[in-house]
Amino acid sequence: MNATAIENPDTHSGISNAKLGVWLFLASEIMLFATLFTTYIVLRLSATSWPWGWDALNVPLATLNTVILISSSVTIVMAYARAYDRDVRGFRLWMALTLALSFGFLIVKAFEYGHEFSKGIGPSTSVFYAVYFTMTGLHGIHIIGGIIVNSVLLYMSFVQEDWENPLFLGRVEGAGLYWHFVDIVWIFLFPALYLL
Amino acid sequence: MSKQTAAAHDPAHDEHRPNVKLYIGVFAALLFFTGLTVAVSRLHLPRPQAIALGLTIAGIKAALVAAVFMHLWGEKKLIPKILIGVAIFAVTLVVIDVLDGIWLTPQDTSRMAVADQHPDESAAEPPAPAKPTAAAPEAK
Repeated sequence: MNATAIENPDTHSGISNAKLGVWLFLASEIMLFATLFTTYIVLRLSATSWPWGWDALNVPLATLNTVILISSSVTIVMAYARAYDRDVRGFRLWMALTLALSFGFLIVKAFEYGHEFSKGIGPSTSVFYAVYFTMTGLHGIHIIGGIIVNSVLLYMSFVQEDWENPLFLGRVEGAGLYWHFVDIVWIFLFPALYLL
Repeated sequence: MSKQTAAAHDPAHDEHRPNVKLYIGVFAALLFFTGLTVAVSRLHLPRPQAIALGLTIAGIKAALVAAVFMHLWGEKKLIPKILIGVAIFAVTLVVIDVLDGIWLTPQDTSRMAVADQHPDESAAEPPAPAKPTAAAPEAK
């Protein structure tokens, strides 16, 4: 890509191609999770009984993870705000906090899984647990994907050339959009699996 | 104009000027709604009401994240158009499958019903034993 293309990205649609691409990717992700939620609804409707989340899962830990993920959504939007104002130190701080919270989420999730495995509970235990492990497992994979992207952005902020690249802010915005989407998925997973 | 300054004043990002006070307000609202969801689930409401209430609160939280954090509020119209298209597909997917789940009763999938609907296929199958015996495993 030449320098002119970088400084003047194609905006025939009024939106940069990169941002449009992220939104189209998120659209495909919405369909992926919609399929899983549909499976959940059909299985639940056809089941003769369905356990309460409070009886079958660890709700306090899941609540803690909800707070962690919501907090990480705020920290990444603060990182975007710092990048917008060209404050590299502020960006690094908020992005590092986002990564710390992301790892925190995975640690809590690993603790929860470990507790269930130690009781002999796995995906094959019942339809409920099969749905639970599939949906939370796929969500966890998305968290790992977000950690990789956010780590790369944090690293790039230490490289002067990358930080000064006009595309950097768009990259942060794209990573933020993905991260907020992962947060929204959890916002629905939490009540659907743990509370209702 | 340097690259740095150009990025800071990129017209494509002007409508998404960060509003930190709004972010903090939404964060507080999300924490409140999370607490509310957990509290409501402890009330042991009848399941239909509990599910409706829980998903309504989740919808409000998701809308706040999408509108403020994802900057959908004030975004160019193309993005909401894409999302509306996706929403139509997703809702159609859910509705078709749920209706199928409601209408397809266990009687519809029983051996007798399948034999009625597909007589050619059922004729090719070996006849099932009239009564399961104690020695034979029960047919599922």
